[in-house]
This record gives sequence, structure tokens and C-alpha cells, in this order.
Amino acid sequence: MALATAANPLRAGLRLARVPEPSVLVIFGGTGDLTSRKLMPALYDLARQRLLPAAFAVVGIGRQQLSDAEYRTQLHDAVASHTRSRPIDEEVWRTFAERLFYVSVRTDEGYDELRTRLGRFDRDLGTGGGRLFYLATPPNAYAPIVRALGRHDLARNGTGWARIVVEKPFGRDRASAAALTGTLHEVFREEEIFRIDHYLGKETVQNLLVLRFANAIFEPVWSRQYVDHVQITVAESLGVDERAEYYDSAGAMRDVVQNHLLQLLTLVAMEPPVDFAAGAVRDEKVKVLRAVRPIGSEDVAANAVRGQYGHGFIEGANVPGYLEGTEVAPESRTETFVALRFFVDSWRWEGTPFYLRTGKRLPKRATEIAIQFRAVPHHLFATDAREGLEPNTLVVRIQPEEGISLKFGAKVPVQGIRIRSVAMDFVYGAAFLVDAPDAYETLILDALRGDGTLFTRQDEVEEQWRLVDPILEAWRTSGARPPQYAAGSWGPGEADALMARDGRRWRQP
Amino acid sequence: MVDTEVWGQPTPSVLALERELARVRRERAAHAREHVATVARAAVLNIVVIARRQVHALRAAETVATLAMRHPSRAIVVLGDAREEGPPGISLHAQLPSGDRAELVYNERILVRARGPVEDRLASVVLPLLVPDLPLFLWWTETPDVDRPYVRDLLALAQRLIVDSADFARPERTLPRLATACVVDRRCALTDLNWARLTTWRELLVQFFDVPAWRQLLEDIEGVRVSFAVDADGREIHPSQALLLVGWLASRLGWRASDRISPSEAGGHLFDLARADGSRIPIRLRPRFERGLSEGDVSGIRIDARRDGRHTQFRIHRDGGRWCAAATVSVDDEIVSERIVPLPATDVVELLSEELTILASDRVFEEALALLVTLA
Repeated sequence: MALATAANPLRAGLRLARVPEPSVLVIFGGTGDLTSRKLMPALYDLARQRLLPAAFAVVGIGRQQLSDAEYRTQLHDAVASHTRSRPIDEEVWRTFAERLFYVSVRTDEGYDELRTRLGRFDRDLGTGGGRLFYLATPPNAYAPIVRALGRHDLARNGTGWARIVVEKPFGRDRASAAALTGTLHEVFREEEIFRIDHYLGKETVQNLLVLRFANAIFEPVWSRQYVDHVQITVAESLGVDERAEYYDSAGAMRDVVQNHLLQLLTLVAMEPPVDFAAGAVRDEKVKVLRAVRPIGSEDVAANAVRGQYGHGFIEGANVPGYLEGTEVAPESRTETFVALRFFVDSWRWEGTPFYLRTGKRLPKRATEIAIQFRAVPHHLFATDAREGLEPNTLVVRIQPEEGISLKFGAKVPVQGIRIRSVAMDFVYGAAFLVDAPDAYETLILDALRGDGTLFTRQDEVEEQWRLVDPILEAWRTSGARPPQYAAGSWGPGEADALMARDGRRWRQP
Repeated sequence: MVDTEVWGQPTPSVLALERELARVRRERAAHAREHVATVARAAVLNIVVIARRQVHALRAAETVATLAMRHPSRAIVVLGDAREEGPPGISLHAQLPSGDRAELVYNERILVRARGPVEDRLASVVLPLLVPDLPLFLWWTETPDVDRPYVRDLLALAQRLIVDSADFARPERTLPRLATACVVDRRCALTDLNWARLTTWRELLVQFFDVPAWRQLLEDIEGVRVSFAVDADGREIHPSQALLLVGWLASRLGWRASDRISPSEAGGHLFDLARADGSRIPIRLRPRFERGLSEGDVSGIRIDARRDGRHTQFRIHRDGGRWCAAATVSVDDEIVSERIVPLPATDVVELLSEELTILASDRVFEEALALLVTLA
């Protein structure tokens, strides 16, 4: 009998992938866009790679009345067009879909039925009481769902574990984020809450930690002594078309800066954690966020720029301006572009500026972190010889092509000295020749395994809002309209001025 | 005859060979520059291929070249047969083969062509050719004879010996002998591509027993059957993969040999293993013709367990035609769980690539082998 509770004796050795324990994934918003475009394709791809447990089930929750069979048919087509391994393998899908169920929840009876069915899965499928709840609904549904889970004893079932995945936005300011956390804490403990920021699931973002902490040559120069400044860009060429209604109430600051951009800043600036466990990594992340100097209302003009795109051209196509969108309020002051200058008041980073920018309708889709190093203290070479020399830069590219490149000066091989910058490129796809998993595959698997390293903790969220709130507040009270920029440009002129005042300029990613 | 198109011109010494490589590199760089590209010289490991036949040497060299982007390396191919006629001697050839992806990374290929009884000199030629400071993987394309001193010399240079027991005539004897020479005598780590072919099988088996209710049945196993592919006439019998799979299962579950392995009808094997309490578990290895599978590939495994009068069967069956596997659990002949997952054919490139990522010894593999030693 001891074996039932002991570790699996076969699971030893370096080659075996880490597979979650038997469990059930319950997705609220089971008929929604996120589920059909991201979650189900990711789950199917996990099944295809043999990464899901043998005893496993997925339950979609929605308001519509659907049978399991209807739900499976609906998702089949969604998975077929969004999996990263097209075409869909019908046999693999068939056995995956047999573990796919649907429960309609409108009232309390729905939750009772959910509980009954989960109990039946534990008995019939051997799912063992492990439950992962996934909130893929609009944020206003979070609180009622969480409370209902508590009321119906779904989060505490005596035998297994229960965790909950929450999608961003985590509130719309510090106060509402704290309120959301309060609601979650009524039912779940903090270590059972997995706030997803899909950026952290991307391979290169994790590779940033490997680059910094597994190599001896970068960390010694990773400080104010050698780094001139850091630029982080999250650029999108798309407009806000499908999400206009949500976006108009959020803006770039809430949509990207509060989560993705500040996460990237955190990973670049954090101190080495004592180990790669969830607690240690997140402790360091919070520590560095605390050291970021907030941009107070009197400093906003000098350190923060917003913008709103007007009409322009993207890849040769004529695109309308933000205010011309049908679901956007005609007088909307929502920012679609943000550029910021932050300082990290710490031993390591004192005086080193971190420039952050993000925007919609920029010339291309590109996400990158650039560490620009200081110039050499003394120039040996004549001015005209170093005309082609640019500062040493280490660029971590996250989109579109994940990779790392290091720019340094080299002598042009002719007589005499002429220096030119060359780039040493490491392209992820080319070096490993494997498809990087989708961020959702990584994160769903981590949540099923209970590894919170790549998820955002409560104190992290609150620190992020602490930095974002005063800027939003200053913009709101100023009553001014955001400066316009043409779609297809790199944002308003004010963003360039922000850099130019420091004698620097933005890179062209 | 050495095909100089493939292997390059002969060079008189190691120094001359390095010069020749540098010359070809320059030439290639100039060519690349015309096409606005740069070529990088990179190496993360040395790989020495030992082959007796031209065709094996070439196939191995091409495999290494395919991996140039993932595992850029210097490949040193030692080709020769002591029984060859003609004047004995060693000649060196160097080449930067250009493949479809070789434009980005140089892939250095060196041929050490040995003729006649010159084996004892081989280590002295290979040593100066190695890129310093990098690990050496020794890939033996046939069965290394560990009683020969030159084999031991080469093993002593290597971090890891890679063999493929798929072609071993008597794997149940040869593998344990290799294990002793490498692991027990601590010369280098040993790995077998046939073991790497089993990773997906092991994964699927492990996942059955992640389920607590099924895990406890590990104590109630009353028989294991493994089937492996043979050709249509049933002549080519290569049970090494099946043996390794059983060896792994037994070593993890603490079973030990209770009798010697003995051939059964039609090229199969039938033997008992014993639990710590002495109770016996019959093991049956069955050769079966299975379309689409290579000879020796495991095609299915069945584990039967009985507890409280209920018979539970864990079964994985590979469908050679479709390259997928069905993993099913049935209780008293009723299927309670079924999963179909892709189980694609693993080609040598993939297997070797996995091996090259592992430098340490693979403890689980060594324990599986150790069990086979006791069966032989």
C-alpha cells in the first residue's frame, strides 16, 4: 500500500520530462477567445508531446448550454487552426478530447454539478483531487467566481491540491489590485495563486536569467560602472482593432507597462537570487522593484511621455488613427504610446537610466532589451578611425526572432586603423533547431506542477502599480490630450526629446 | 582509395593539416563575403568516429555535419581495417564540407585513414588533432573490442563512448562487457543510441504509474511482455532494445535475476526475474514482424497486474504505419484510459544530438545495464 503515497520509483534519471501529477484543469471562460486561441491549442500541443499526465481532464465552464460532444466539436476547429503543429492529428485529438468536458454554470446549481463531476473524475479517471482553476473570463467575473468556488467547497477538497490562475489585468490601479488579491485570499492562499504574465513564459525571457546567472563574463559588467543605460522596447505594429473597447479603458500603461515592461526591467536589474526556486526569484524581483524610484507628479513631464497614434502607413498600407476606430470614444485621451525614464536606486544601478517604451502602430513588431555599455575611458584611436564605432551593446531580442547579439568594434582589415562595429549574433531557432514552446504551454505546465517562479506574486503586482499609478494620475489631472504621432512612426517627438536631453537616442530595433 | 571530393587532399602532417584547414576557411570566408554572409568558426566538442567500413564512416560524418548548427564540432573520422592488404600506414585528410546549413558555421571534418595493423598508433594521431579544452565523444560505429589495448587507449581520451547496440550480434553479452570496460574501470561514460530510442517508451510507462491508484499495482505485477520488430522472415533478431527496457524496469523496481536468460522459440527470450521476497515475475521478449519499424525496435509492452481479484493491464502499442502509440489501461478487459500520442521514428541525427547534450554518466542507464550483466 505504501507505493500509492510514495514517489514513483520509475521516475528517475535525466532524460525524463517533468510531467504534472494527475489533475483536472477547470477553465472559466471555456467558450471564450483566450480558451480557443491559446489555452486549448497549448493543451493539445502538450498532449501531443506526451507532457500531460495519464490521468487528466479539462473542464470548460461557460454560460451557454452545451453538451460535452458539442463543446469538443467547437474546440476541434479552434485547435486545428491555432495549434503550432498543423495539421491536427485526429487520433491524438480523439483521445485528448475524450478527457474534455463542459459544464454550464449560471447559478449555484452549476457549481454543485461541477463539484459532482470533479468527484466522478477523481474516481473514474484517477485524477486524484488535484485542481487547477483558470480564470479566462473578463476581469469583472473574477470575484464572483472565486467566492463561488469557496462557497461550494471546490477549493478545499480534503484530498488533493487546488490552485488558481489569474489572467491580467490584475486590477486597474494599486487599490483595485489589492482588492482583487483580498478576494482571492478569501479562498486561496497566496502560494496557490498563479498570476499569469505570458511574457515570462517566453524562452528568451527565461534565457535572460540564464545569460546573466549561468555565465561568468556578463555579471561583472552588469552594473553602473560599465553600463551606460538600458533600453527596453515593446513595439507593436497592430492597432487596437479587436480589443478596442477594453483598450480604450486601459491604455498602454495598464496594458503593457504595468506588467510586461516592468517584468523585463525587473529581470534585467534584479540581484542574483540564492537559488532558482519560486520564493527566491520573486523575492529578488520585488526587492529591485522597491528600489525603482517612482516618477512623482512633479517629475512626470521630464520622465514620462505618452502619445496617441493618428493615421499613417504600416508596411505600405493606409491605416486609420486611434480616434477613428468605431469602439473608441471620440474624445478619448487613452494613450497608445508610453516612453519612460526610470532610475533604480540601488548599489548596483545608482544613476543608470532605464528607458522603457511601448506603443501600438509603431513601424514593426519588436521586443528587445538593449544594454548599452560605456565608452572606453580613453580613446587610443584617431577620431576619424573610430567613426564607424558604436557603443558596445548587448541586445536580447524577444520578438520576432528570439536571440542575443553583442556588438563590438573590430579593425577593418586594411592597412592603418579603421574601426567598424560588428555584431555577434546568437539566434535561438538556428542554434537549437527546435520550435520553442508557446508561452502558454510553459506556463500551464508550470501551474499544473505548482512551480510559481514565472508567475507574479501579490507584492510584485502592488509594487508595479506603485510605479504606474502616479504617472496615470498626473496625466489624468493635467486634462491635456496626449500628443499625436503618425501610425508607422516611432512615437511622438517628445519621446526622442526625452532621450536627447540626456545626450542619447533610441535604437532602431 | 580515399574519395578526395568528400575527405579532401592528403596532408603529410598534423601541422600541414591545420594549415590546409585554415586555407579552406579563408577561401570559404571570401566566398561567403561575396554573398554578404559571415561564417563562424565554432566548436563545442570533439567527436571521434571509429569506423571499419567506408560507408559507415561517411554516414557518421554526414550525421555530424547535420548537427553542425546545434553541436558545432570538429569531427575526426578514423577509418581503417587491420586486415586490409597493401602497405600499412596512416594518412590524414581535411575538409570543410559545405552542406545546406554549413554556410553559417564551419564544420571541420578530418579523416584519419589507417591501413594495415597500425591500430596501436591511432591514439597518438588523434590526440594532437583534438580541439583543446573541449570534451571528446567517441562514437564507435561497430562493436568495440575492449580487450584490445588500442581501444582502451582511445577510451581513456574520451569523456563518453557512444555505441549503437542495435547492430550488436550478442547484445546481452557485449553490452555488459562494455559497461565493465567503461564504467567499472572508470575510463569514460557509456551510452547506447538504443537506450536513447527508449526514452519515449520510458516516459509513457512512467506516466501510468504517476497515478497513485495504479502506482500501487507495481507491487502486484505478475508478468511483463515486450515485443520487438524483426524482418518478415524472422531472421534478423536484435533484442537489445527490449532487453534494455526490461533491465530498466527491473532495476528501478528492485527486481533481480533469478535465472539466466535463455532463448525461446522463434528467436524470443523467456526468463524469470525475482522480487526481494523471492516471488517470481515471468518476462517474455517476443520478436514480431511489424511493418514500418526497424529491426530491434520495441513495438509494444504489456504489464499485467492482479490485486484483489482484479486484473489490470497496462499496454503501450506502437503503430508502425502511423508513427504513434496507444497507451491504454484496462481493468478486467475493460479500457479505463486510452491515450494516443505521436511516437515518431527517431533517426540517428536526433539520437546523437540528445547524446551530445549529456556529458555526465547516465546513472539510470548504468543500473539497467548492471541488471543485464547479472542475466548474461
